[in-house]
Amino acid sequence: MSYQEKRNIVSILTGAAILAAYGLVAWGRVRSGAIGPDDLAAWAGLMLVFIGIGIVASIVIQIVFHILLSVSIAVEKKIQDRDCEDLEIEKTIKNEMVEDEMGKLIELKASKAGYIVAGTGFVAALISLVLHAAPAVMLNLVFVSMCAASLIEGVLQLYYFRKGLAHG
Amino acid sequence: MAKKIEISNNIRKLRFFASEMTQQELAEKVGVSRQTIIAIEAGKYSPSLELSFRLADAFGVKLDEVFECHFTE
Repeated sequence: MSYQEKRNIVSILTGAAILAAYGLVAWGRVRSGAIGPDDLAAWAGLMLVFIGIGIVASIVIQIVFHILLSVSIAVEKKIQDRDCEDLEIEKTIKNEMVEDEMGKLIELKASKAGYIVAGTGFVAALISLVLHAAPAVMLNLVFVSMCAASLIEGVLQLYYFRKGLAHG
Repeated sequence: MAKKIEISNNIRKLRFFASEMTQQELAEKVGVSRQTIIAIEAGKYSPSLELSFRLADAFGVKLDEVFECHFTE
């Protein structure tokens, strides 16, 4: 499995865990009556907290992932060649984590799909308002569609790295 | 209507004749990941013109020796 695929899996798992945690917390608060369907300030606060957690968690997990990956590459290289120098190990790590045109093209294609999902979620949120659903439903549709867009982006990137991108 | 185009490549053969150059070595030479070389070799990714020229340069051959195209109706 390549570096890009591993990195994608890590970000998909992080995103899914944060979305699941938000769902559990939100569901718990709704059930306990701590947050009502018209209490927009409380919903917005909860979402802001999870956006913050998401950003921090993504950064920390990506740093830990890169450290662990670098260590595993270095150990593997040392096992293959005991006399291998640090500079050579550094070069191997750098080569393993290279970002190239195929990766950028895949990111671009996946982000296009992400925008479509987020846009569809926004339209669904507007429709929910037209149908007189509670404002919290609208807010949650926007939030969940953005999280789903990010997850779908990751899954699509993984798919394209596996399947390839023949003829652009 | 424009004709369909099928692009194939001789990278595997060229690597063999370049003292069995590994995919990693070629990737390092042209500045991409090994994953990209694997995808190009398998016909799963069509590289940019710039990368195509880099590949040809890495083998010291002309571009049409690396890639071949066949037009079909």
